[in-house]
Amino acid sequence: MFRTGSRRKHDAGPAAEALRLVKVTKTYGTDDSAVTALDGVTLALARGTFTAVMGPSGSGKSTLLQCAAGLDRPDSGIVRVDGHELTGGGEAELTRFRRGRVGFVFQQYNLLETLTVAQNTVLPLKLAGQRVDRRKAREILTAVGLGDRLGHLPDQLSGGQRQRVAIARALVADPRVIFADEPTGALDTRSARGVLGLLQDAVRVHGRTVVMVTHDPVAASYADSVVFLADGRLAGRMDGPTPDAVAERLAHLGDDMTVGV
Amino acid sequence: MFLLAMRSIRKRPGRFLATLLSAFLGAAVIMTFNSMHDTAAQSGVDRVSKETLTTAASVVGGYGTLLVFFAVASTLTVTVRQRTAELELLRCSGATPGQIKRMVVGEAVAVALVGAVLAIGPAMLGGQALLGVFQDSGQVARSVDHSFGPVALLSGVDITLLAAAGAAFLAVRRATRGPRRAGRARTYLAYAALGLGAVAATSTFAFSATDEALMAAPAYGAILLSVGCALLAPRLLKGVLDALPLTGASGWLAVRNLRRRADHLAGILMSLILFTAVSTATLYMQAVESDAVAASGLVKSVDAKNLESLNYTVVGIIVVFVCVMLVNSLYAATSYRSREFGQQRLAGATPGQVLGTVGAEGLILTVVGLFFGTVAALAGIVPFTMVRTDSVLPDQGLGIWLAVASIAAAATLGTSLATARRVLRTPAIGAVGLAA
Repeated sequence: MFRTGSRRKHDAGPAAEALRLVKVTKTYGTDDSAVTALDGVTLALARGTFTAVMGPSGSGKSTLLQCAAGLDRPDSGIVRVDGHELTGGGEAELTRFRRGRVGFVFQQYNLLETLTVAQNTVLPLKLAGQRVDRRKAREILTAVGLGDRLGHLPDQLSGGQRQRVAIARALVADPRVIFADEPTGALDTRSARGVLGLLQDAVRVHGRTVVMVTHDPVAASYADSVVFLADGRLAGRMDGPTPDAVAERLAHLGDDMTVGV
Repeated sequence: MFLLAMRSIRKRPGRFLATLLSAFLGAAVIMTFNSMHDTAAQSGVDRVSKETLTTAASVVGGYGTLLVFFAVASTLTVTVRQRTAELELLRCSGATPGQIKRMVVGEAVAVALVGAVLAIGPAMLGGQALLGVFQDSGQVARSVDHSFGPVALLSGVDITLLAAAGAAFLAVRRATRGPRRAGRARTYLAYAALGLGAVAATSTFAFSATDEALMAAPAYGAILLSVGCALLAPRLLKGVLDALPLTGASGWLAVRNLRRRADHLAGILMSLILFTAVSTATLYMQAVESDAVAASGLVKSVDAKNLESLNYTVVGIIVVFVCVMLVNSLYAATSYRSREFGQQRLAGATPGQVLGTVGAEGLILTVVGLFFGTVAALAGIVPFTMVRTDSVLPDQGLGIWLAVASIAAAATLGTSLATARRVLRTPAIGAVGLAA
């Protein structure tokens, strides 16, 4: 069992392996109507990598992300984030596990509408009971191009700007892994490119680990590598992806089912 | 559009429960008291009985109707606001603003009609019970039979439907026009209520200690002042929030949430202020009156008894009514926040912290509501006590106020925390995915 002191400083440095899943299985529903969303997925991602998870609808991408990020518990198998195993416990315990280890970027931004840009950004620190470094928050917001929007409310921002706030919020607590679920799904091409660039910077410049679920081959091409998923199983991997190669591979995912990586 | 309205009611009856409940209760209260008019109008009712019955019906008819109007309006405002997304979708699918308006108003009227019809039975029983109270205290002759006639039926149905239609119309206009500053009309109304309330409370001094109508002026004063405060509630709340030095993640979030949602919380604060003011003012004044009569050694006259039983019935009904409204609108408002709670949890809030935020918000609301309600009540109690007795404050002590305050706190905190707990059972990721 992990310790859960909220003010505890992190252990000495990040682990070399940011994320490891071992034979993770997740089934929804019961008996007759049971759907196996994840079927024994084993996966390891090194620190400082940018990985895209791709697959057709219903392939288990979102379930994979939720299990890996500690938002949901797998039925069986092991999940390790930054060398720490995710164990049982209630929601409060899962929340404390995620703090400082995991940051999120969602398709629908999930910013709190009652808080300003600056307040939304520091919210994870506030909730974790950590000292709020306003200067650092401002630096991060300036870096994502929102230095002049600190006092705005989310509904005064465009979709792209909201997603940048979400990225700043994910970065501010220094998480080991940032999970992005279709981060460009609701954005126009130009905003999407900006957001993907920021995620890329988080990895290349700041050495974070990013896992991004997407169905867009162009978005996936920003990653260092792409992991394909079909019917809840891994269906291959591609390093140095290009949009065309990813699209080609996606189109033939059903043909060459190779289990494992 | 009418068909769409009926379909949307049939498919999601739960959504309209809050409106139905307030329409039902409102209609029941109005019909119960107005059936006294019908009873008095029967042939063969003696003069004293007639007077008692008519007074009861008119007094409650006055501010009971006002209260029902407020209650239905605030519930409808909350439920229409929660459907902004759906209305937006309808607009995008080619519905004109007029069609949307007709749909929402149609729904509200249909639901209110059902509520009013359902209220007929209970109102008949209530009217009989009320008549029984008057007969037991000897104010109405035993020979008088309860009658539930056209006055009760028409006033109950009409007022409820009118309140529902008017409130739905205003609410949908506000919802489809997008956010706007609170109207100037509201401010004028608030100041008018405050001014009239102050005049009414001050005019208490024009009466002599034994005047039978002495209690009317300060009671109306207190109620008008509390209506004024209630109308200004969002602004008062913001003023209080600016002065609050709350630390800790939950308190920090609570203050910011309340500040942004101040306008939405007006209905809840209104219920709290009215509840506190009406119950505190009436109960203390009646206690002072009873003690003064007892001290003078006189036997209570029929009129005095009349007033006493009337006061207690009115307070009882209004208190229950406002309390149910409070619970009703808090439940609707809190269960609507599922998505927001999900977002807080995804940002790293434990369920305990979310509950802490909800609790802090409820506590601030309770304290603000109690404060302004008490101030309004005191504005009535103090002049009354000064005229009726020689002291400034009633010597009944804090007992009554503490009871009122604890009911208000229990209703507010209990409802919001229990609802939030239930809402938190949905996993965070599911809660943010749900269509709002």
